[in-house]
Amino acid sequence: MDIRKYTKRLTIMMWCVLAAIFPLAMTKADEFSVITRQAAGQTVYFNAWGGSPAINAYIQWVGERVKVEYGITLVHVKLTETAGAVTRILAEKASGKLSGGSVDLIWINGENFATMKTHGLLRSDDWVSGLPSFAYTDPKKLPGIVSDFGTPTDGLESPWGRAQLVFGYDTAYVTTPPNSAEMLAKWIKNNPGQFSYPKPPDFTGTSFLKQILLEVSPEPTVFSLPADQADIDQALMPLWQWLDQVHPHLWQQGKRFPANYTALVQLLGDKEIAIAMAFNPTEFSNGISQGILPETVRSYIHADGTLANVHFVAIPFNANAPEAAQVVADFLLSPEAQIKKADSAIWGDPTVLDLSKLSASDQADFMALPRGLATLSESDLGQTLAEPHPSWVGVIEREWARRYTGQ
Amino acid sequence: MVLRGFIVCFCLVPVLAGLAGIGFPAFGWFPPLGGETFSFAPLTLLFDQPGLWQSIWLSLFTALISTFLSYWLAMMLLAYLYDQRRSAWVFRLISPLLSVPHITVAVGILFLLQPSGWLFRLISLCFTGWDRPPDVSLAPDLYGYALILGLIAKELPFLLLMGLSALSQIEVKALRDRAKLLGYGPISGWFYVIQPLLSVRMRMPVFIVMIFAVSVVDMAIVLAPSIPPPLAVRILEWFWDPDLGFQFIAAAAALLQLMLAFVCCGIWFAFAAVMMRGLGEMTRKGIRFAIPPIAAKGVRFFLLAFAVIPCLLSLLGLLAIIIWSFANVWRFPSVLPDVWGLRGWGQASSDLFQIGFNSLILGLAAAGLSVVIAMVWLETRHGKRWEGMIYIPLLLPQASFLFGLQMLLIWLRLDGAFLTLLWAHSLFVFPYVMLSLVSAWRRFDNRYLDVAASLGVNACRRFFTIKLPMLMIPILTAFAVGFAVSSALYLPTVFASNGRYATLTTEAVTLAASASRQSLGVASVMQMTLPLLVFIGCDLYTRLWATRFRYYRRR
Repeated sequence: MDIRKYTKRLTIMMWCVLAAIFPLAMTKADEFSVITRQAAGQTVYFNAWGGSPAINAYIQWVGERVKVEYGITLVHVKLTETAGAVTRILAEKASGKLSGGSVDLIWINGENFATMKTHGLLRSDDWVSGLPSFAYTDPKKLPGIVSDFGTPTDGLESPWGRAQLVFGYDTAYVTTPPNSAEMLAKWIKNNPGQFSYPKPPDFTGTSFLKQILLEVSPEPTVFSLPADQADIDQALMPLWQWLDQVHPHLWQQGKRFPANYTALVQLLGDKEIAIAMAFNPTEFSNGISQGILPETVRSYIHADGTLANVHFVAIPFNANAPEAAQVVADFLLSPEAQIKKADSAIWGDPTVLDLSKLSASDQADFMALPRGLATLSESDLGQTLAEPHPSWVGVIEREWARRYTGQ
Repeated sequence: MVLRGFIVCFCLVPVLAGLAGIGFPAFGWFPPLGGETFSFAPLTLLFDQPGLWQSIWLSLFTALISTFLSYWLAMMLLAYLYDQRRSAWVFRLISPLLSVPHITVAVGILFLLQPSGWLFRLISLCFTGWDRPPDVSLAPDLYGYALILGLIAKELPFLLLMGLSALSQIEVKALRDRAKLLGYGPISGWFYVIQPLLSVRMRMPVFIVMIFAVSVVDMAIVLAPSIPPPLAVRILEWFWDPDLGFQFIAAAAALLQLMLAFVCCGIWFAFAAVMMRGLGEMTRKGIRFAIPPIAAKGVRFFLLAFAVIPCLLSLLGLLAIIIWSFANVWRFPSVLPDVWGLRGWGQASSDLFQIGFNSLILGLAAAGLSVVIAMVWLETRHGKRWEGMIYIPLLLPQASFLFGLQMLLIWLRLDGAFLTLLWAHSLFVFPYVMLSLVSAWRRFDNRYLDVAASLGVNACRRFFTIKLPMLMIPILTAFAVGFAVSSALYLPTVFASNGRYATLTTEAVTLAASASRQSLGVASVMQMTLPLLVFIGCDLYTRLWATRFRYYRRR
């Protein structure tokens, strides 16, 4: 045997083996530790809705933790309207600002995500699957973490929390809560001035419209497809009929609506209304412990289930500190941060992690979290409705504005 | 001349660029969003928006009524109170409102007049014994009256101050005495002789107030109706719509906003002309308004009440804010908190103090810069040439050029920098500083300088050792005014800072729409404290410092 040929083959084989091993050796964890090193000293501008002191305080805690752990400075840019940051990023793209953008990390889901995805405003190298903490999730058990309102996330956004539409009522004024759209309409008519919902296009307000729509529509399946594939007028008609009959009996005769769910919950605390809603199962327990709500408040969901979805963080294509943003996204997904977030004394946002993948002590921590006075059990929350396709959001909001503006 | 040209550019370049930045998209041309050709499509789409006419009406109605009322209340207060020492308390009551930012006044009115607000708690305690709030809406209401109330509370003090400054340029006593000789009483004398002189000098402040009112965003978010809101708020909503096609509509609406401002000023001009003609007619006929003293007293009482009520309500609102910031639990119908405590302050903690610090630094820098520019402007020897131009940023609706400006700033890579924000603030702070400083500066007796010059003191020393110290009080007042203006700015902060610099105002607007009243209360307390502290600081400084000079002691 030609020894030279042999060595050559051996060398090739060795290279092959090396080539196969190297990416393995350079595991995701190593890759991530490189990113972590690059991230040190960077400042992350986290653009997130800032209307809830509880959430703001949580984000502040995250800032303190990533400062200590990774040397990252986290600045919470408190948005009144998430779409405002989306248009800002678009303006940056329009004027050719391809790096050094003003947003490093943004809290989004649903329609805003769909908009950013179509306009190519997000960092698109599937950075999410490389996050060490992403291994604690299970997309099979919770498909919502890779499919945002039916739009595939494609690694463009990292899951942060889970939410479900939950109603809260004051037992001092309501004995049996109306647990369907039909019963709710009846209750509103019998109890004028005691119900309202946040003004669309507020997130919770629009979600309430979608909830009612899914309940009263004879054919809810059309909403899983894009809106332009359906007869929009006909599909939405049941919703408008429902609203037309209840609007005159709403709080302030339906001529004013609270700006968002925190304002709505405050109205419940003021006893102006008797039923409120929030996109967070522990909101009402939280409100009681904060002294905003009386201790007579309890929560419930509709018998057919309520809307549930996942909310995410994403990195814009021109982020100034993409590495640090990635590290923050990973921290937000870590068991430590998720346990803290699920605590109803802090925020009470349910976790996106799969408990069975966690260490025993983390599991125990999750189990040990107090559920709060007005929080339903996991099994009571079991019934969920899937979000309609995101294209319906704009359609519903626009038609709502056309029908109810200036009446 | 070069210096002045530079300052004018400083004020006008952003405005012109901003106008261009909305002008092109308003006619469909904006390539990044696929608008490649000029068309009227955005305007057509704009007028297809639901409730657009109601938004326009709301903007016009609130702006005209609030300006009209605050102007005439201010004028009549001046007429009645000008030389009455006993009435000084009215000024003392009203002047704190001058330094409080608009959004804080709005939040105060909300805390007072909303269905679960303080007023209804008091009513419930004293009369009705409600245990649940009534389903009514005083603030925010359905027609814009709450917004008008808030605007008057802010505009009346400003117009009073401007009126006082204008009066100092008029020989009030001599003119009144002459009118008296001709048999005109104090009131008719004032309205025939002083008022016309005053109204000419008040034109600029009135237009500033009017244009602010027609384009106000922060107060309107809190106090105005919301379906539909006034035009300026809708522009912001469209600008922030996730459907990016709305950018064109927002631009067209910004153009419409500019038209509304012109319409408002036109209406005011027409009205003023009619008034003048009427006054002229009445003087020719020699009508002397012989009002019996008792009626005059009644009128005076009524007027005072009318002028004082909006301000009193606002001050009560501010009190409600302070209480909320120290309330852990305060349920309806308790008149005072059920549990007092510092929860709001604890939650706010470092975050809010950082934001407060931002506001403080920004305000001090903007006010300082503006005062320096104003002094440079006033020291160049060109009289009033080009002076009208520096007021242009105040005479255009903010929404009409700030959106376009944002695009330009991003394009120049200047967005989000502190200096940019400082510039954006100075655009609005500088004119107010000028308004506050100009009359004192022009009244300065130059003979002091002549004397110094004759003693061989050079120009530089003359300025720093004589003119500057003698004008210290107006300068510091202008500085405090500038700080107050800066701390109240909302849209300029939002658009020039790219969200990177939060100020107490942006924070309060974010919190006002939602959140706990404690946090909002804390933010608002800090917001009213800062300008007040600066005012007090300036005042103390001048008092301490002035005692060294006989020039001031004599007064």
